[in-house]
Amino acid sequence: MINLNDALLALTVLSVLFGLGSNRLMSLVKIMACQGVVVSLIPFFRDYHHEINVGALIFLLVMLLIKGVLIPGFMYIAVKKVKIQREIEPIIGYHASLFMGLIFILVSVFIAEKLHLSLPRDKVLLMITATTTLAAGLFLIMSRRKAITQVIGYLMMENGIYLVGTALAHGAHTQFVVEFGVLLDLLVGVMIMGIILHNINSSYDDVDTALLGQLKD
Amino acid sequence: MLEFIILLPLLAGIVAMFLPVKVGRGILMVTALLHLILSLSGWLGKLAPALPGYFSVTPEGLLVLLVTSFIFFLISIYAVSYMSVTKLSSEPLYIGCTLLFLASMSMVTLADHIVVLWIAVEATTLMSAPLIFLHRSKSALEATWKYVMICSVGIALALLGCFFVVLSMNIANLHVPITFSSLGLVATRLDPVWLKAGFIFLVIGYGTKMGLAPMHTWLPDAHSEAPSPASALLSGALLNCAFLGVYRGHQLLYQAGIGDFSSSILIGFGLLSMLIAAIFIFNQTGYKRMLAYSSIENMGIIAFGVGIGGMATYGAMLHLIHHSLIKSSLFLSSGNILLGYGTKLINKTGNMVNLLPRTCTAFFAGFVGISGFPPFGIFVSELLIIIGAFKQGRNISVSIFIIALILIFVGVSRLVMKMSFAPNDMSKPLISENLARTLPSYALLLASITLCIWLPESLYQTILSAIATIGGGVHG
Repeated sequence: MINLNDALLALTVLSVLFGLGSNRLMSLVKIMACQGVVVSLIPFFRDYHHEINVGALIFLLVMLLIKGVLIPGFMYIAVKKVKIQREIEPIIGYHASLFMGLIFILVSVFIAEKLHLSLPRDKVLLMITATTTLAAGLFLIMSRRKAITQVIGYLMMENGIYLVGTALAHGAHTQFVVEFGVLLDLLVGVMIMGIILHNINSSYDDVDTALLGQLKD
Repeated sequence: MLEFIILLPLLAGIVAMFLPVKVGRGILMVTALLHLILSLSGWLGKLAPALPGYFSVTPEGLLVLLVTSFIFFLISIYAVSYMSVTKLSSEPLYIGCTLLFLASMSMVTLADHIVVLWIAVEATTLMSAPLIFLHRSKSALEATWKYVMICSVGIALALLGCFFVVLSMNIANLHVPITFSSLGLVATRLDPVWLKAGFIFLVIGYGTKMGLAPMHTWLPDAHSEAPSPASALLSGALLNCAFLGVYRGHQLLYQAGIGDFSSSILIGFGLLSMLIAAIFIFNQTGYKRMLAYSSIENMGIIAFGVGIGGMATYGAMLHLIHHSLIKSSLFLSSGNILLGYGTKLINKTGNMVNLLPRTCTAFFAGFVGISGFPPFGIFVSELLIIIGAFKQGRNISVSIFIIALILIFVGVSRLVMKMSFAPNDMSKPLISENLARTLPSYALLLASITLCIWLPESLYQTILSAIATIGGGVHG
């Protein structure tokens, strides 16, 4: 089962890199759905050799439903509705973003090595994946102009936080705190609702936060 | 039951959303009054928490709760009159959301459990976003988007901070409830490295909400685009609540014996916020943005005072109270100015002294107060912070502090003079002022003067017991 766990981690990193390098919004949404499913599964397979309790199983299902179905579904509707296919003119280009992604992996390896005092050996890989995802998410928020891509970046960052929690969790209390991260999906939901319902679509020809540039000093 | 303080506005808010406007206004006023009464009885210790593992009464929480409740009451008087003369797409939404906003802020002040505090802060974001978007203009949309996006990132990082704090407990093999009160009892045994990491993330997370630079970028937009009563609430109440999150983290680090670390972080963020506010306030074109930058400055002052410790902490707590009172008064006056001139630009205002005499008096008095002149309380609080800092031998930081204060005074006074006395060819304001929209501003200013001259003994004792937990005192 260790191999399966590693495969899931590899998938997560791949989805992060794909997210950084892709400019098609629809494939970004699909990749986020994939990442959501994989990220929800990781804690489950990590604890595979422990007994499985009902609470964890229900939580897994809820996570799968939210991260794998509901949020991507919402985003799918948003992308359909605002009729944009591509993220044009990102603040930082795709090749540079991809390169940044590789740098994030390196930095994460460095951080995980630094932390190994308090980290069990088998969680190092998970920690590397987690920090990479977190950093890439923050980077996406900062380097893209479209509102929907920023939401995707936020979602990625949130997945990263969940993974950091899973990597470092050290007992019932800590896991409990991280699981409240599901509430962040509420904020994501609100943002997507904003894009779908509110006048972002009708006030602008396109959901571009660069047009949201009236207020500045 | 202590939780009534949260439940009352929560239920009232939900009900008010579905009722006609006239009934909703009545509900708003009655709930605000009842909330004030409940908060006062909480202050007198008459209410015990029904869920002691999640909520508790702390002196600093009570302080923020009472300030919030008091200004909410006055703002709701103003809001009812303000709403009746402005065209809003949905007034029931405003009334409902502002009550829910009050509920979430009350929850922040009473929360003891780490996760409950975090949820409450998240709820404040969700409940206040519709308030900012109330005018449904392009710029309101932009402000709301920025607010939700930036604050959500902050809240996500704050969750990581909470997680690290709890991790510091688990690594040390301790098993206590994850409430601030029980963690405080075992603070010295917590793992210091993870506790420090947790504090950094908490400061960044809750500091975003509080408006500390460089995470402040949402604040001027949100404050200038929200309708004035909502801006007054954001500035006078929400920022304090976010500060409470930072304060609780600092408390924990102090109890763990690594208070120096968190102090220096707070001083750094505080000074940076003041300097950034000083730079941006200078050539400000909108008066509401000017007030928003002044809020950033004042949050910087509070963070600085808490970071310095000793007597400055007492000053910081006083500053928190007086800033809320004076700043919400200023925002309420700015609402009258907006109604009178129909613009947020300073250049298009002027001759306020003749056009809107009562508002002008309140606005000017508020300016005098916020700049730190007697008889307003900010004079005392800033003086105490400066003396406290000198006593601790922080000569360089306190010099930067004073320079920033001077710069901001120069910047603001220039703009306020222009607004009050510069010539303007309007013969009469678009919508003239009335008693319901000026009296709340005066009441808030009067409260600040009163508290400066006569501080009730119980308030004094509460401030002392709040700052005792981080090693502050009036003689330090």
